[in-house]
Formats: sequence, structure tokens, C-alpha cells
Amino acid sequence: MKGNNSDTSIHNTKSKRRDFLNIVLSGGFIAWLGALLYPVFKYLEPPVVEEVKVSNVKIGAVEDMEKDSGKIIRFGNKPVIVIRKQNGEYIAFGGVCTHLDCIVQYRKDYGQIYCACHNGRYDLNGRVASGPPPAPLTKYGVTIKNDEVIVFQEAS
Amino acid sequence: MKKKIKYFPASALLLIFICGMVRAQSNDECYKCHLDLGDAPSKIYKTDIHFIKGISCAGCHGGDFGSDDMDEAMNKEKGYIGVPARNNRYQVCVNCHNDENKMKRYGSSLASDQYEKFKMSVHYKPSYNNQGPIADCITCHSVHDIKRTNDPLSKVYPTQIISLCGSCHSSAEFMQRYNPALPVDQVQKYRTSVHGKLNAKGDPNAAECVSCHGSHEIQPVKDSRSLVYATNIPSVCANCHSDTKLMSKYKIPTDQYDKFVSSVHGVALLEKGDLSAPSCNDCHGNHGAIPPGFESISKVCGSCHVLNMELFEQSPHKIAFDKNNHPECESCHGNHNIIHSTDEMIGTQESSVCVNCHKVGDDDKGYMVAGEMKRLIDSLRIQDDETKKILDQAVQKGMDVSDATFSLQDVRQVLIQSRTTIHSFDLDMFKENIDDGFNIVSKAKVTGEEAIDEFYFRRIGLGISTIIVTLLVIGLYIKLRKIEKKA
Amino acid sequence: MESEKKSKHGKIFKWLDERYNLTGLIEFAKKKSVPKFRETIWYYFGGIALLLFVVQVISGILLLMYYKGTEDLAFESVHFITTKVSFGWLIRSVHSWSANLMVLSVFIHMFSVYFLKGFRKPRELTWYTGIGLLAISMAFGFSGYLLPWNELAFFATKVGTDIVGEVPLVGEPLLKLLRGGEDVTGATLSRFFGFHVAIFPGIFIILLTLHLLMIQRQGIAEPEDYAKLPPNEKKTIPFFPNFALRELLIWLIVINILAILAVFFPWELGTKADAFASAPVGIKPEWYFLFMFQVFKFLPGEILFLPGEFVGLLLFGIGGLLWAFVPFWDRRTPEGKRNKILTYFGIFVIIFILVFTILGFIME
Repeated sequence: MKGNNSDTSIHNTKSKRRDFLNIVLSGGFIAWLGALLYPVFKYLEPPVVEEVKVSNVKIGAVEDMEKDSGKIIRFGNKPVIVIRKQNGEYIAFGGVCTHLDCIVQYRKDYGQIYCACHNGRYDLNGRVASGPPPAPLTKYGVTIKNDEVIVFQEAS
Repeated sequence: MKKKIKYFPASALLLIFICGMVRAQSNDECYKCHLDLGDAPSKIYKTDIHFIKGISCAGCHGGDFGSDDMDEAMNKEKGYIGVPARNNRYQVCVNCHNDENKMKRYGSSLASDQYEKFKMSVHYKPSYNNQGPIADCITCHSVHDIKRTNDPLSKVYPTQIISLCGSCHSSAEFMQRYNPALPVDQVQKYRTSVHGKLNAKGDPNAAECVSCHGSHEIQPVKDSRSLVYATNIPSVCANCHSDTKLMSKYKIPTDQYDKFVSSVHGVALLEKGDLSAPSCNDCHGNHGAIPPGFESISKVCGSCHVLNMELFEQSPHKIAFDKNNHPECESCHGNHNIIHSTDEMIGTQESSVCVNCHKVGDDDKGYMVAGEMKRLIDSLRIQDDETKKILDQAVQKGMDVSDATFSLQDVRQVLIQSRTTIHSFDLDMFKENIDDGFNIVSKAKVTGEEAIDEFYFRRIGLGISTIIVTLLVIGLYIKLRKIEKKA
Repeated sequence: MESEKKSKHGKIFKWLDERYNLTGLIEFAKKKSVPKFRETIWYYFGGIALLLFVVQVISGILLLMYYKGTEDLAFESVHFITTKVSFGWLIRSVHSWSANLMVLSVFIHMFSVYFLKGFRKPRELTWYTGIGLLAISMAFGFSGYLLPWNELAFFATKVGTDIVGEVPLVGEPLLKLLRGGEDVTGATLSRFFGFHVAIFPGIFIILLTLHLLMIQRQGIAEPEDYAKLPPNEKKTIPFFPNFALRELLIWLIVINILAILAVFFPWELGTKADAFASAPVGIKPEWYFLFMFQVFKFLPGEILFLPGEFVGLLLFGIGGLLWAFVPFWDRRTPEGKRNKILTYFGIFVIIFILVFTILGFIME
């Protein structure tokens, strides 16, 4: 009937307006929440700190290290393991285990590079010998100049 | 007849003179007696200027010179002092020579300030064994045969004084007692110098000890009152070397002092009192003064400007300059009138020193290198200025760019170094240094631009958030009205 | 579609209701109402204070991610936050501004409760916990101010703790307790950090919980005059959704104001603290301590036979106690009588604080 129709039409427009308002409000709130949470999440992201580019590091005189021994040195802000083999040769690898980022060490008794966290082992070519590590250690170059041992990053 | 008349005044004068002498002689009983005795001082006294002036022995020794009786003449009550003791014998000289009136009485135009000056000098200090001053009047002027200072036979005449001073100053044993650090080779060096050589030939005008060090007022070199103190040396040298009449004899120019005074070194030394700046003797030597030769100029300049010298000596310019007898550093920088080097000296523009030799052309590598170096220096300076402006803008906007500003200090360092690396005339070495500067500048520029962007980003972000909030607030308000209308 | 939505909500609701009797809570919430009259506007300030406290907690925790509380790293870490961390400038400025606005709104809330006599029986404990919350808020402000370890903060802390030392008997040991030693040093910083992020939040949360629980239990207080009206003339606004939506509106605006302040009036960092530098000229504490500080400056060295500072402390102590224990000594209001002394005392306190704060700002 006519009266009913007009009632429902008014009712419809009213409910449409109400729905529109609700949509605007909900949309607005989500936008507001986004504007609030975006800075918070960006804030929690660690900022990029400028890395000092290190190309090589002098670690000391040739005879400073005993044969068949190893030590961890600081290469810029990364640890590097330097080993002097039994025959006097120097080798160097990235000092961070590829399994879960623990710092490795040289084990004389194994003649291998060893990670104490989960018993991972690498041979003296940096390749995984046994244990959980999934990848080999990065190789670093070593050169002797004027009786000094210099560790440098090899071209990748 | 005319001839006879001419000679007459001359001979008359001579007669009067001799009579005067005889008179003096005839008056001085001390002299007469001691001369008869064959006394050594009396024998030489007749050459002494004091004898010529009519001063008797008593004039210094005291006593009654008119009496021939020993006891009367050498009577202490009449002022006789005998041979004065070594440690205060100079007082005898001082008695007259310090008194202006006494000097006038004897018709002397000598100054009477020697004693005052001498008292302040280094030689007045007590000698070894406390025998009075280290050197007194008699040490240098001697006694009983004192000559006028302009008499070639005087011990202090320019040609004689070298050996006089050297008699103490060249003796290591003697000088050790007073100042072991003092050198004893001054005479030796002096004889190699231009001054020394002229002096040896008998030229009284060439500089000798007194010309530079003074006579009565000698101070240690490190004492600022000394004539040869660093800041005093230029004017001391200029006393002769700026005298056109004097120098014309030797055919030496006289513009050095004027040039030096307006030069970087002169301003530093004389106006700012910077003792590390060179005085005449630092480049020319002091006792062994000689202008540096063509090939040794870079070494002389290099004694202070070490890095420039090292780079220059490895550069192609060294060989080229030496071959063509171009004085090394001097060719571009000058010698006495060295002015502050500016960036305008390098490059291919008219004001540069490079275009004096280098010309446009494919076969002139130097021309290209000069132009490139200038271009790089100018470019870095301009970029530095631009970056500073950008950073200032960021600071004005309230952003923090302190790290970037700090890093720009290194650019100044790089620019200073680049002006030294120029002397290698090697474009690769030059670039190696100046590239660091470009790196720093570009990084700082990026930081500055990012900071300015951040400034706008913040305001835009705020604007967007405010719009969202405003919409929400309006929406909420409408909702509220609706809810309350219902109720 | 609507029915689908309802059923989804309905399912979650049913699940929780079966376990936690949410229906009861909703019934309670529906009944909550706020008196509607000309002074309703003051009722928002408690909520604003609460909002700002929440903002402080969140921004404070975020700052904790990067702040380092030792002498040699504190300043640098704050500098790092404001320059290198994304939106670090925003979090830090919001934290500093919100701190000041929180203290301000707590003051306004307290004064409005005072004048509307909200502290009268049965709400005495609500007032006392409120006073405790005010004290802790100011302590938060004082301890937090030192954390950037900059020059101003260093000297403000020195002066502030010096005054504490003037209290007779307990002053000296209290000063040492606060400073972690004789002077303000890195030990003081560690202590203040501990106070600021652990001890004070703990106490504050306890007091706040009590404060809010008591309000929920007893309902919103009616102002004196309103309470005397006949029941059918008492107009109210339902708390949900009307008053709550209004509060939400205001809260949105307050948060936006914080953002505007952070962008256009960023909080300064200044220079790092140097124990051997001379105190900067015109050193003064934050504004909410300024009136006390200014009064102390005016006090002569000696009053009668007592040291000036002691008299100052005594007077403030007495004034503070009177204020804190107003529910105790106000006898007239519980009897339904107007207590003019109370009103005058309140006006006096406000004017006193205003005058000395303004003096503190304009005088060197």
C-alpha cells in the first residue's frame, strides 16, 4: 500500500544513511588505527647503522701465532677465524657458524673448525665435515707482507 | 815661488805637531823613564791613540806624571793604582769614555754609551774563575796600542775583527766553559760565504761579526734584544742590503727587504711574531750566507715544507726545471715576495703559473693536468658550499644533521691536502686524495636532503592523520546526535 | 547478511558468556550513568588522565627498546632515537608532551573533584588513592626528566634532590637514597631508571586499579547541589554509549593534539650532562614543581630562629597534608552544609600555584 511503501522507503533511506555512517565510522577507525600502528611498527624496525667498510685487517707478525693454532679476530664488525696450519700456512674463514650463528673455534685435537653450540664441524677448507651446519664458511684471503699477516675479503 | 808657498802651511803644521808630541813626551816622566827601561808597553805606546791625544801613563794608571821621582810619581795618594786587576781594569776606560764632557775635551766625537751598552751585554757576565767580565774593553781593543776603529791596524777593524772574535769563539775548549751548545765553526763557515770572501780580500764594507751582532751590546741570539734575534734579522741585513749606493758596487738588487716584509713569511715573522717563520738566515744561512743554488732551492724550502719538496722531487718538474736552470720552488712561488698561494695559481686560466710554460695542445699533457686539477678543486669547493647550505636549511627546519656537519670538517682537510698533492703534478695521486672529499660531500648532501624531506614528510603525515581524525570526530558526533535523538 | 553477522558475533558471545557470565557485566554497564548538568564537562578529565597514562606506558615501552640507562650511553641513545630510529622523534616527543599533559589533567581532575566535593562520604578512599596517584605522577615526571641525561635535567635533579635533603632528620638519608650516593651520578640515573620503569608503574597500577574499582562499585559521584535535587529532576546520560562515545571523541582529539605538539614543538635534547660544568643560568624545574621552587627562592635565609628552607618545607608540608586529608577535616559537607572555608581554601591554593608558577616563568 501507498502509506506502507513510503514508510519503508523512508525507513530504507534512513537505514541506508545509518549504514553509510557506520561504514564511514568503521573505515575511519581502521584508517586511524593504521595511522597509529604504522609508525609503531616502523619504529620497531632496527635502523640501518652505517657500516664502516673494512677491506683488510693486519693481525700481527708472522711468528705471533703458533703453528697449528687458531684465533678469532675482528674484521670491521664481523668475527673471522684465522688458523695457522701445522705447515706454517695461514688460512681464514668467517667466524660465524652457518647453523645458528654461534662463533666457531679451532680444535687442535680434531684438526677441524668446531662449533660448540651443536657440535658442528668444518674442515680446513671451510666445508661442512659433520653436524647440523647447512652451508660452508665464507673464505677470507690471507697474505703476508713485510713479515705481517693481513686478512682481506676475497672477491665474491 | 808658488810651490814654496804651498808647502809652507803644510810643513808648519807638521812642525807644530811634532813639537806638540815632543811636548807631550817631554811632559810625561813615566813614559820617559819606562821607555829607557825598555818596558814593553812603553815601546808600543807611541802607536796608541791615547798617546797621540797627549794622555800620559798616569791618565790610566794614576799617579803624578810630572815627577821623575818614583816614589812621588807612583804615589797611591796621588791616585796611582799600578796595574789594575783583571776583574775591574775596564773601570779605567770607563772613567773617561763614559763621560761625554771628558770626550769633548779631547776633541773626540766618539759616543759615550759603550759602558752602558756593555753592562747589558752577554760579555759583561762574569768569566770563568771570576776574573771579571768574560770579555772587557781590553780583550777586544787591546791596551797600550789602541788604534782608532777606522784604522786598518786596529784589532777591531773589519778585516782584523774576524780573528779577534774567533780567538775565543772558534775555540771549542774555551766555549765549552760557557755554553757547550754554541757552535765554534762560525769563522770557518764565514770564510765560505760571500761576506767572508770579500772580507778576506780586504773589503771593509762586507759584513763581519760586528755588522750583525753589534759591538758593545751583544746579546745571546735567543734574547729578543739581540740584533740577530729572528725578528730583528731582516732589518739588520737590510741595513746594507737595502742601501742602493752600497750595493751598486756589488751589483746586488736592494728590493729584498721590501719584498720580504710584505710576503707571507715576513708578515708571519714580523707582524704576527711567529718564530717558526723563516728569517733571512733560515734560507741563506747566517755565517755561511749564500743564496741557495737552483738545484738546492727545493731542499731549502723543503726543510720546512717537507711534503711539498718530496712530492716535487718525484715529479717530472724536477728534471725539467733543473735541466733548464729554472730555480725550483722559486719559479712559481717567488723567493723574497712569496705571497699566500691561492687556487688561482693552478689551472689554465691567465692568472695561473702553469700557463707560463704549458700551452694548449694534445702533446702538452701538463696543460691538461693543470686544467683538470683546478676543475676538481673548484668543483669540491662549490659542492662543499652547496652542501653546507642544504645542511643549514635542514637545521633551520629543526632537523638534526650534526653528524653530517661534523663529517664536512674532513673536506677542509682534503682541500688542504690537495693543495699539497698538486706538487706531485700526478693526476692519479691528486685524484686519490680529492675523491675522499667528493665522497664525504655527497654523503653529507644526501643526509641533508633526506632531513629536509623528513621535515615535510612529518607535516604531511600529520596532515593526513588530522584529516582522518577530523572525519572520525565528525562521524562520531553525528552518530552521537542520532543516538540521542532516538532517546 | 545482517543475521549472518549477528550469528557470528553471537557465537563468540555465547562461548564467553557461558564461561564468564558476560550478561551480568552488560547489565551492570547499561545501568552506569553520568549526572548531566552544567559541570559535566569536568568529568572528562579523569578519563583524559587515564588515556594519557596509557599513552605513556605504550610510548615508554617503545622507548625502552632503544634507550640505554647508563651515564655514557643515555644521552647518545636518546639522540639515536630522535635522529636515526624511524618515528623515534615522534615517540619521544609524544612521551615528553604526554607526561606534561598528564600531570596537568591530573591537577585539573583533582581540583574539579575538590570543588564538586566528590571526596565526601562514601568516596574518601577514592580521594586518598587519587592523591597517591598525583604524587606518583609527579614522581614519574621528576624521575623521567633525568633519563636523557642532559644538562638541564642534571642540574634540575641536583637542585630538586638538594631540597629533599633539607627535610630535618630524614632528609639526609632520603637524599642519599634518591641519589644513590652523595652526588648526582650515574648511580642516580640507574636508580631513577628503576623507579621510573618498574617501581612507580607498579605502585601506580595498584592505586589506579583501586581507584577505578571503587568508582565502578560506587558509581559516579554526584556534585553537591545536584545531589540535593529531587530524583525526577536529576538528568543523567547513560555511560554506554553516550558518555563513552563523547569520551572517545575527546580522546581522539587529545591524541591528535599530541601529534601536533610532537611535530610543531618537538621536545629538545640539549647538551649532554657534565658534572663539572657550571649550572646554566636560570635553572628551574619542570612547571609542576615551579611554584614550590619559586617560593623557596623568595624565602629569606632565616625566619625567626629557623632556617628559611625548613620553614618553607614546613608550610608546604602542612598545606599538603591539609589538602590531602580534606575528607577528614571537612565536617560540614557530610552534614549537607555548604563549606565556604573549603571553597576559599581551594581558590587560594589555585591562585597561589598560578601566581608562583607565572612568577617562576617570568623571573630569571
